[in-house]
Amino acid sequence: MRTLFRAAVVLVLMLAVALPSPGQAPAQVPTLRMAITRDEGSLNPYTYQTGYPGWNLMTLVYEPLFTPDADNIPQPWLVQRYTVSQDGKTWQFTLRPGLRWHDGRPFTADDVKFTYEYVRRHAHSRWTSQVRGIDSIDVAGPTGLTIRLSAPSSGFAAQPLADLPILPKHIWESVTDPRRFNDMIGSGPYKVAEMREGQFYRLVANDTYFAGRPKVREIILPIIRDATVTFTALKAGEIDTTVRPLSPELVAEFERVAGMKVVRGAGYASTILQFNLEHPQLKDVRLRRAIANAINTRLMVRLLLLGYGVVGSPGYIHPDSPFYNKAVTFNASKTKAVQLLNEAGYVDRNNDGIRDASDGTPLRFTLLTLAGNPIRIRGADLIRTWLRDVGIDARVVAQEDASIISQVWPDFDVCKGRKFDMAVFGWSAPVMNRATVLRDLFHSDCRFGTINIGGYKNAEVDRLGGELAVAIAPEKQKQILFEMQKVIAAEVPVHVLFYQDGIYAYRADKHTAWVYQKGQGIVNKLSFIDPPRR
Amino acid sequence: MWRFFAGKGAQYLLVLVLTIALNFVLPRMMPGSPLVFLAGEDVGFLTPEQRTQLYALYGLDQPQWRQFATYVANLARGELGYSFQRGRPIAAMIGERLPWTLLLVGISLALATLAGAALGAIAAWRRGSVYDLGTLGVAMFFESVPSFWLGMILIAVFAAGLGWFPIFGAGTAGVALSGWPLLLDRARHLVLPLVTLTCITVPGTFLIMRYSMLSVLGERYITTARAKGVAERAVLRRHAVRNALLPVSTVFMLNLGFIVGGATVIETVFSYPGIGRLLYEAVLNRDYPVIQGTFFIITISVIAANIVSDLLYPLIDPRVRQR
Amino acid sequence: MTVVTAALPQAPMRRRFSLGAVGWTGVLLLVVLTAAAVFAPTLSPYDPEDTVADPFQAPSRAHPLGTNDVGQDILSELIFGARISLTIGFLAAAIAIGIGTVVGLVAGFLGGWVDVVLMRAVDLVLVIPFLPLMILLAAYLGPSFWNIIIVIGILVWARPARVIRAQVLSVKSLDYIEAALALGSRTARVIVRHVLPAVLPLALAQFILAASNAILIEASLSFLGLGDPTAKSWGSVLYYAQVRNAFISGAWVWWVLPPGFLITAATLGFAFVGYSLEEIFNPKMRARHGPGAG
Repeated sequence: MRTLFRAAVVLVLMLAVALPSPGQAPAQVPTLRMAITRDEGSLNPYTYQTGYPGWNLMTLVYEPLFTPDADNIPQPWLVQRYTVSQDGKTWQFTLRPGLRWHDGRPFTADDVKFTYEYVRRHAHSRWTSQVRGIDSIDVAGPTGLTIRLSAPSSGFAAQPLADLPILPKHIWESVTDPRRFNDMIGSGPYKVAEMREGQFYRLVANDTYFAGRPKVREIILPIIRDATVTFTALKAGEIDTTVRPLSPELVAEFERVAGMKVVRGAGYASTILQFNLEHPQLKDVRLRRAIANAINTRLMVRLLLLGYGVVGSPGYIHPDSPFYNKAVTFNASKTKAVQLLNEAGYVDRNNDGIRDASDGTPLRFTLLTLAGNPIRIRGADLIRTWLRDVGIDARVVAQEDASIISQVWPDFDVCKGRKFDMAVFGWSAPVMNRATVLRDLFHSDCRFGTINIGGYKNAEVDRLGGELAVAIAPEKQKQILFEMQKVIAAEVPVHVLFYQDGIYAYRADKHTAWVYQKGQGIVNKLSFIDPPRR
Repeated sequence: MWRFFAGKGAQYLLVLVLTIALNFVLPRMMPGSPLVFLAGEDVGFLTPEQRTQLYALYGLDQPQWRQFATYVANLARGELGYSFQRGRPIAAMIGERLPWTLLLVGISLALATLAGAALGAIAAWRRGSVYDLGTLGVAMFFESVPSFWLGMILIAVFAAGLGWFPIFGAGTAGVALSGWPLLLDRARHLVLPLVTLTCITVPGTFLIMRYSMLSVLGERYITTARAKGVAERAVLRRHAVRNALLPVSTVFMLNLGFIVGGATVIETVFSYPGIGRLLYEAVLNRDYPVIQGTFFIITISVIAANIVSDLLYPLIDPRVRQR
Repeated sequence: MTVVTAALPQAPMRRRFSLGAVGWTGVLLLVVLTAAAVFAPTLSPYDPEDTVADPFQAPSRAHPLGTNDVGQDILSELIFGARISLTIGFLAAAIAIGIGTVVGLVAGFLGGWVDVVLMRAVDLVLVIPFLPLMILLAAYLGPSFWNIIIVIGILVWARPARVIRAQVLSVKSLDYIEAALALGSRTARVIVRHVLPAVLPLALAQFILAASNAILIEASLSFLGLGDPTAKSWGSVLYYAQVRNAFISGAWVWWVLPPGFLITAATLGFAFVGYSLEEIFNPKMRARHGPGAG
C-alpha cells in the first residue's frame, strides 16, 4: 500500500495491459461468472435498468446498427455498407445479408424502420430524443434503408446508430405498453436463457450468430448488491469478474492474488465541483477562480484514489480524449486563491473568520454531495477544509441521489431551474464521448444545454455550441471544442476535480480476451465477440 | 368473548387502514420525482410532452385522491400493481422473494425459540450459578451486538477466511442442481445468515424464559411439589416449564409477525434474496408500488400473527379460558 | 435484537444481580465511555478531522489502530465518536421518553376515551413493522444528524408509553392521590405534583433502555447508508470501513472490530443499567419477584 501511495500521480495514458490479439480464435470459454450490482429487469430495450452495465448487457441481446470500437468510434456492425450525402442529411445503409432473430425469423430493414418509429411513438428516455431529427425513413427491399435528417447532426453515428437497439417487428408491433413487456428475443450474440429475480441471469451464446462464435459459451450474471461481498467473492473465486470497477485500496491486494489479473485504463467518468451560476455570489467568476485555486486536486487524486486517477482538466475534456486541448492548463495555488479573494474585495469585515462580500454577505455555502458515494463525501470534506483555510465557509450536506437531483437538477430538466450553492457532482463516461459534449454541458438554452445544471450563460459558448452540433468533419469538431475548452477554463462554470481510472479485476484462468474500451472499461460487446469481417 | 374479538377486530382494522394510508402518503412525501427512476439520467433529454406521457402511463398525473382510490380499489382485488422499475407484477416479485425469507426467518425463529426456551429454563433452574451468569452475559452481549457487524465478521472469518461457507446469495447462481446436491447447496448458503439471525434472536426468548421461569419457580405450588419430594426433573418439566412457556409463546407469536420484514439488514449483508431486501432496494429506487406492496404484505403478516396469537392464547393459557 | 425488542413485554432481569454485578458493570461501562467522550480532546492523539498520515495504514506505534481511507487516525476517530454516538443515544432517548411519558401520563391518568385513543396509537406503532418503517422514514427525511435522532425518537416511544401508563394506573389508586383529587386539586397540578414524581424513576429506566436501543439503531442506519456520513459516529466509522473494503484487505481487525465492540459496549452498558433500574423501580416486577408471590 505504501509503495502505491508513494507512486507519483501518473496519467494512465495507455492500457495497463496488452490484451491478446484476436488473431487466431481461442477455444470458447465454457462459463463465465460476472457479478452485476442490481437487478436489471428484463434485458430488452424498454425494461433494462441502468446505463451501465444494463445497456452494455442488453446490447449483447438486442443490437444497434453500429457498435463503438475500442476507441469509442462507431463502426458499422449489422450494416455492410453506408454512405452519407455531402450535406450530411441523407444516410443510406445496406444491411448485412442473412441476419436472423433468435427465433429464426429474418432480420430486415423493415425491423429497423419499425424500431426507429416505435421509439418515437412510445416515449423512451434514452432513444426518443435521438430520433427526433429524423425526417423520413425509406425501406428498399430486405436490406436497403435510407434515413433523412432535417439538419446535419454531428452525433448521429453515435446516437442513435450505435446506441438504439433494433426490435423485432413481428413481436413488438402489437405491444402497446412496452414497459410491461418482458420478451427477450433479439438478434445479438447472446440469448437470455434464465432470469431469477434478485438472484442471477444466465446468458447463452447464440450459435447461429452471423459474426461467428461468441468467445464465451455461457455468461452467468449473479446479482450482488454489496461491493465488499462482490470483491470477497471475486477474491475467493466464487465469481470470475465483476462489472464493478475495483476500488483503489484493493488494487495491491488483488494484484497479489494468484490467478487474478488487474487491468487499468483511463476512466471518462468525471467528478466535478458544480457551481450554481445563478447564485448571487457564485456568479462572480473571480470567486469561482479563487475557489478552484484553493482546492488541491492533486492531493485529492493521491488521497482518495490512491493515485489511480487523473487530475481534472480545466476545459472538462479528459486528457485521453482526441478532443483534449492540452494548451489549456490550470495550476492551483492557495496563495493565488487568497490574492484573488483580496483583489475582488472579499475580506472578513466582521472578524468572524469568514470573508464577506462588499455588501456584507458572508461567503457561506452549502456543499451538496451524494450520500451513497464515500469518495465524493470525503472529497467534499476535503474541499470544506481547504475553503475554510482561505476564509470561505462550506457546509457539507450528504443526501441520497433523489434528493440531490431534486435540488441540482429538478426532474432532470435544466429548464426547471435549480436551488443549491455548490455540489460535488459527476458525469458518467458516455457524456465525454458525445460529439456535442461541451454544448450539452454549457449551452445557455436549456433545450440544447440539456445538462447545463449550473445555469451557465455565455454568448461565445452558445455560438460555438451551435456550430458544434452541425459539424460533421472530426477536424472541425476538434477545432470548435479546442476553442470552447479555452473559454470554459477561463470562466470556471464547473471545476473538474478528477477522473477516476477504470480498474477491473478478473480471473486470468477463465476468460482473458477482454477488450478495454477507452474511458469505459471491459464490459462491452467486443469482450465477448470479435467484430464481423467487413 | 365476542366483545373481546369485536374490539380486537376493530383495532386490527384500524391498523390496516392506517397502514394503507401511511403506505400511500409516505412514498409520495419522499424527495425526488419518480420520473428520475423511470427514466434515469436520460430524462434530461425528454420533451415536455414525453414527460407528460410518462407521468400518465404510471398514473402520476392524476390528482392524489384519485391515485389513492385506485390504490385501495386495486388492493381490495388483491392487485398490488406493477413495479415502476421492472414492469413486472409486484405480487409475482414478492412471490419469488417470500419463500427465501420464510425459509431463513422461519428456521431461525424456530431454532431461537427452542434454544432460548431451553437455555433460559436451565439458567433459571440454576439461578446464580456460573452457568446462569455466563449464559446471561452471552445473551445480553448478543442482544447488544449490531446484527450487520456480526454478519460481516462471520463472512470475514468463515466464508472469506476459512472458505467453509459461500459468501453471498441463496444458492450457487446459474447452476442447475437437483436432489441432494441442490439441498446441500441451499443449506450451505443458509448457514451463515441463519446463524447470525438466530444469534440475535435467541436472547429475547432466553431472557423472557429465564424471567418467567424464575417467577414460576417462586410460586407456591412448585414449592409444594418440591416439598412432596417429587423428583426435581419431573417438577421442572411438568409444572415449571409448562407454565413458564406462556410468555415465550406470546413472544413467539409476536415474532411470527415480524418474520416477513424482520431480516432486512441480514438479507442485505448476505445478499439473500428475501422480502426485506426487496423493500430496501425499492426504497432506494423510489419504486412506489413495490414499496407499498412489500410494506403492505409485511403489515398483513404482522396482523395475521396477532390474530392467530389472540385465537390461540385462550387454548394455551387456562386462566384466560376460564374467564 | 430488532426483531425482538418491540415485543419484549417487560425487562427480564432477576433482582439478585440487579445493581450488584450487572448494574454496576453497566455503570462502569457508561462511565468509561462518557469519560472518553468528555475528555476526547485530551485523550485522542490527533484531531480526527486531520489527515495525519497515509491512508489505509496498518496499526503502528504512531497509530495504534491504523489510519482510515483519508489518512485520519482511527483511534482518535473512535474517541471522538463516543461524543456523537452517545449524544445521538441520549437525545433520541430523550425524545422517545418525552413523548412516551406524556402519552403514558395522560392516558393513564385521564382514562376514558383519551386512554383508548392513545393506547390504540401505541398498539399501532408496536404493530407496524419496525425496521421497514425506520428505513422508510430515514430515506424520506434524509441523512442528517438531527433527522436520525428524530427518526429513532419517534419510533421507540411506544413501549415506554405503555410501561409508564401501567405505572400511572397503579399510582393513581394510591391514597394520597385520591385524597388530592378529592380535595379538588386541578388535574394538571396533581399530575405534575404527585403522579409525575412517582413515575419519573421508571421513566429514567426506560430512558436508558431507549438510549441503548438508539445507539444500535444509529449503527444499523449508518450501515445501510441511511445515516449521516459526515458525522463521526461509531456507526459512520463502520460505514467507511465497510465501503472501503476493510473486510477484504484484512483491515477489519483494527478498523471494524473496535467500533463494533464500542457500540456493543455502549448498548450493553445502557441495557445493564436500564434493566437493573427498571427492576428496582417497577412495582409490578417487584411484586412478581417477591418471595412467595403468585
